[in-house]
Amino acid sequence: MTPIVLVVIVVAIALVFDFVNGFHDAANSIATIVATRVLKPWQAVIWAAFFNFVSFLLLPLEVANAIAKIVSSDIISIGLVFAGLMGAIFWNVLTAWLGLPSSSSHALIGGMIGAGLAKDGGHVVTLKTLQKTAVFIIYSPLIGLLLAFSAFVLVSWLVHKIKAKRTVNKTFRGLQLLSAAAFSIGHGANDAQKTMGIIAALLIGAGRLDKGVLDNPESLPMWIVLSCHAAIALGTMFGGWRIVRTMGTKLTRLEPMGGVCAESAAAVTLFFASHNGIPVSTTHTITGAIVGVGSANRLSAVRWKVARRVVWAWVLTIPGSAAVAVLTYWLVEVFN
Amino acid sequence: MDRRAVFFVIAAVLSAALVPLIPHEKGKPDISWVGYTMVVAFVVLAVLSALDAWSRSRFH
Repeated sequence: MTPIVLVVIVVAIALVFDFVNGFHDAANSIATIVATRVLKPWQAVIWAAFFNFVSFLLLPLEVANAIAKIVSSDIISIGLVFAGLMGAIFWNVLTAWLGLPSSSSHALIGGMIGAGLAKDGGHVVTLKTLQKTAVFIIYSPLIGLLLAFSAFVLVSWLVHKIKAKRTVNKTFRGLQLLSAAAFSIGHGANDAQKTMGIIAALLIGAGRLDKGVLDNPESLPMWIVLSCHAAIALGTMFGGWRIVRTMGTKLTRLEPMGGVCAESAAAVTLFFASHNGIPVSTTHTITGAIVGVGSANRLSAVRWKVARRVVWAWVLTIPGSAAVAVLTYWLVEVFN
Repeated sequence: MDRRAVFFVIAAVLSAALVPLIPHEKGKPDISWVGYTMVVAFVVLAVLSALDAWSRSRFH
């Protein structure tokens, strides 16, 4: 097989990963609007998919840049990117099958690190990007929690004198459309860019793209940007309903006001991360925000058993996907 | 002590422990203020939660 054919195949796999990411993660965008019955599931997925797609118009491509640099561009090869992607895809499919919220982002980072380690050892991993990502594995849900808790307390205080609960609910049901849209924009920007970063790294490794693109991420070819956003939007439309159920109702039961606070808090966190080139997990972020709203009601409103399963999935994602990527890379080498 | 206050104290400690690990990349804005802000905010929330629990317990 010629290198160009291999590049096309790996780009296609990257887009499948993006689609699976949409299928697996983007459901988080609609969990609260479905849980609070603001929109029917099919309406919610179309709403979220649209804002996933248009997000490239609003946020910079810093996350794509960070992902492209996670493994040194000097050693990137087609086999390495293939192995990294397979690690991430396997992990996503496994956690989706088990109905566990995981993180496609960290699965991808874990996969790339695993493949990089298998090829040339630990020195090829860009520590600063890894360090920033690792810190925000913990920080992103905490920021979501903090903002959602604060917003919920503030809004509750502002509306507590309004006796007609129905009026409050009606207002927040309308606002939830905006907060879900904002969250979908944040999600599309942060998650689609991870695949863009992988495709950029692959093309640089294959000599099809100039390394200079890493210094100026806005010069990334438009076909990469559009195809990644289209893939994640399509993934969202096919949705991961099992995960919607976990996020929207199993963690804590949400009213429209809580939904608005959770989604707005998560959206602000994702906008911040995207602006600063931090690949964060949308799942981590919305989970933290939903827990924040739940704990503002009362701590016992949060179903900690489900939250614990989520935390375990977080802990296992990077090592799990890295291990699969190492095995895949060795297999690739055997057949190479 | 109020469970929610304890939860916020743990979050504050975790946030503080991670502040030194936030890398500063050349040519990019320093984002360590995020960590400091979280520590302060979680401490404030812990104090407020504890006070809230204390005031509730006086009425019940």
